[in-house]
Amino acid sequence: MAQQKIRCIVIDDDLFIHDLMEDKFDRHFPDVELLAMASSGAEGLEKIKAHQPDLVFLDVEMSDMTGFEMLAQLEAIRFQTIFITTYSHYAIEAIRFNALDYLVKPIKLNELKQAVRRYKNNIEKFKVLDRVQQALINLKTKKVSDQTLVLQTHEKELRITLKNITYLEAARNYSYIHLSGNKKNLCTKTLSNLEGLLKDKGFFRCHKSFMVNRIHILSLEKNNMIVLSNGTEIPLARRKRDAFKEWFDV
Amino acid sequence: MEIKWQGTYIDPENLIEISHGDKRRLLKYLNRFQELIPERIAVLEESLKVNDRKMIRQIVHKMGPQLQFFGVKDTAPFVRRLEFEYETIPYDQLKVLIESFLKKMDAVQQEVAMIIKSNF
Repeated sequence: MAQQKIRCIVIDDDLFIHDLMEDKFDRHFPDVELLAMASSGAEGLEKIKAHQPDLVFLDVEMSDMTGFEMLAQLEAIRFQTIFITTYSHYAIEAIRFNALDYLVKPIKLNELKQAVRRYKNNIEKFKVLDRVQQALINLKTKKVSDQTLVLQTHEKELRITLKNITYLEAARNYSYIHLSGNKKNLCTKTLSNLEGLLKDKGFFRCHKSFMVNRIHILSLEKNNMIVLSNGTEIPLARRKRDAFKEWFDV
Repeated sequence: MEIKWQGTYIDPENLIEISHGDKRRLLKYLNRFQELIPERIAVLEESLKVNDRKMIRQIVHKMGPQLQFFGVKDTAPFVRRLEFEYETIPYDQLKVLIESFLKKMDAVQQEVAMIIKSNF
């Protein structure tokens, strides 16, 4: 029996991207059916309703609305989304924070192939749909500490509200996430990866092996130890002392 | 496919690779460039006149990947600078920067027109 094709739509207000995607699908993806292309968020909504795609390639920034705003207008999201963005776009942080998939313009063939492969291999597709919903909730959540970080461990997907994280600790190529109540989870990201996701969300890399959450800091002691709300003491690297004091406004 | 390419401003490597030596596809991309870039240049000029910095950032942001896609040389620092400093850069510097970019884009468009004329 022939394998069912992946039915997709491209939504991007850049007609160069339309040309590029159309050619790439035509030439390299016999298992992908390009149903339609839209050049605005409003048109994208129409095409989604008309075609009910499996997969949507969605520009983050369009002239009439952002990709996230477009998704928020749908009653239900029954397709997977791969965002299209540029490296310099501020939304790339939101995409990474919510563990969503994305491609960087101008889209390279091998990156597109990998993204389609990820889509095919992703058995638990409902989780990805749920991540998009989570991203929409996070974008609406003004108070940063109430936002939810989505992370993968070896066994499961973790969703952690930022205010529950006390500190993060490097563990070679992984990291421990220490939570209120003295629980901890091992996640498959380095501390540097997590620093990239959390540095603008009230976290500070105080040491090569540690990162602390501002809302759990009680004090900075003379011996260069940061005392947290649960009594844990975290070392502050000497060379980071001034930056920490400025950040924490001690 | 034999394409005569006077690449003073454009490095054709990416474009030829993407079109896989297919002249029809290559022409489609070049025509799209000629169709869209003047529109964007016009918006950039207008935005500079009225000092609409958000629009300047938006249009430069849109053009960035296209310039990269077409292998337009030496424009990445311009794009990056305007994306990150669009609010803070003094107007006289902004004007010099954009005018120099516009001059270059004028030459790029002429080069694309010449490539189309001599190959298709």
